[in-house]
Amino acid sequence: MRDLFRFFFRQRNNLLFLALMALSMYLLINGNMHQRAQAISSSNAVIGQLYSVRNEVAEYAGLREVNRRLAAALAAERNLRYSLPLRADSAPPDTDSTGLQTYRFITAHVINGTVHKERNYITLGSGSLAGIRPDMGVIGMDGLVGIVREVSPHFALVTSVLGNEFRTSVRLKRTGHFGLLTWDTGDPATASLTDVANHVPVSPGDTVVTGGNDGIFPPDIMVGTVTNVDDDPSSNFHGIKVHLSEDLSRAAYVHVVSDLLKAERDTLQAKVAQP
Amino acid sequence: MIATILNQVLAFVALVLMQAMVLDHLDLANGWVVPYLYVFFLIALPFNTPPWATLLLGFALGMAMDFFTSTPGMHASACTLMAFVRLLMLRLLAPRDGYDPLKRPIVAHMGMAWYITFASALILAHHLWLFFVEVYRFDNFPSTFLRAVMSAAATLLLCLLAQALTTRATRLQ
Repeated sequence: MRDLFRFFFRQRNNLLFLALMALSMYLLINGNMHQRAQAISSSNAVIGQLYSVRNEVAEYAGLREVNRRLAAALAAERNLRYSLPLRADSAPPDTDSTGLQTYRFITAHVINGTVHKERNYITLGSGSLAGIRPDMGVIGMDGLVGIVREVSPHFALVTSVLGNEFRTSVRLKRTGHFGLLTWDTGDPATASLTDVANHVPVSPGDTVVTGGNDGIFPPDIMVGTVTNVDDDPSSNFHGIKVHLSEDLSRAAYVHVVSDLLKAERDTLQAKVAQP
Repeated sequence: MIATILNQVLAFVALVLMQAMVLDHLDLANGWVVPYLYVFFLIALPFNTPPWATLLLGFALGMAMDFFTSTPGMHASACTLMAFVRLLMLRLLAPRDGYDPLKRPIVAHMGMAWYITFASALILAHHLWLFFVEVYRFDNFPSTFLRAVMSAAATLLLCLLAQALTTRATRLQ
């Protein structure tokens, strides 16, 4: 018994090292699962405040550009509104055939974000008090930004498009074929489009938009343009690279998409899924 | 003793804030170089820091970074490993009659050759672990390895730069 104690005493630093390593590996493996990262994340109040202060300082450098882009977005919105009566279907794009509003857009301010990691996250300066919930889509002025992962009352943490855990259903606008958008390129401006079969005619310059069938993003939101089609003869699918239209290193104001009919659709689908 | 502890606490806070607020947002060489200067805290601990304290401080430093980057366990594991490597390197590089208690592991006290050997071993252990845990797989080994090594070089450079600036300041006093 005494030898055992002596052994533990002599090995106490190695044992401490192993214990700390085991603890951090436990956090690493469990913490990356959805929901569990609540306590340790930049959506918590103290860290969120620190990032807000940092952002207030850093923001001044980019204000001119933000203003220009906001003005451009406003102009595009106005153009759309005034051209509506001339379109064949006069319903605004965020309503369904019965004239019911189906999507609500919540404006949020980006207070922190990275683009050069393997998995990038963005912190928004609005949270559950503004109506933001996990699994809502986030779009910028020019395209996709990410999906809300966690919320606290005043902050939200968003899984950026730029990360190997992000994937969403998108559509080639010209041909109407669906595919899966993933990010494995390491380049903050380029993503990959997979699961598009070889017989589909794809060429550089084709527009890629959201599919709208995942209950996260509305349909026909701009994603990017095809830059490169690289076919592997042993595969049945195209290897497509897409230039993302949203510059994620500059996104300052974003819209969080609240799908107002999600609960109704999920209830209906759950009925079918039950045995 | 109290002054040393106070200094260490200030260095801890300053380095973590500096990392989270400034260095993490640099986009150097298209994301290929990410300097992690905050590990300088662990490199510059006094020689007579007890081994258990080195390990616990390493873990605490990593956890502090994890709170900012929302990556539970990632920096904590890298820094714990780094603290362990620090204990090994201190034993390996020890002078015959032990470390002078008045000296600290900085270039001005230990010389450039000793410091680069010591610091680069620690930084490499930390960065290689961190970058491979971040990717979570081994399939693009060469590019991750290169990213880690290039970032390690940048971190070492910043460590040397930080000392060049601060030692001049102390001499002026």
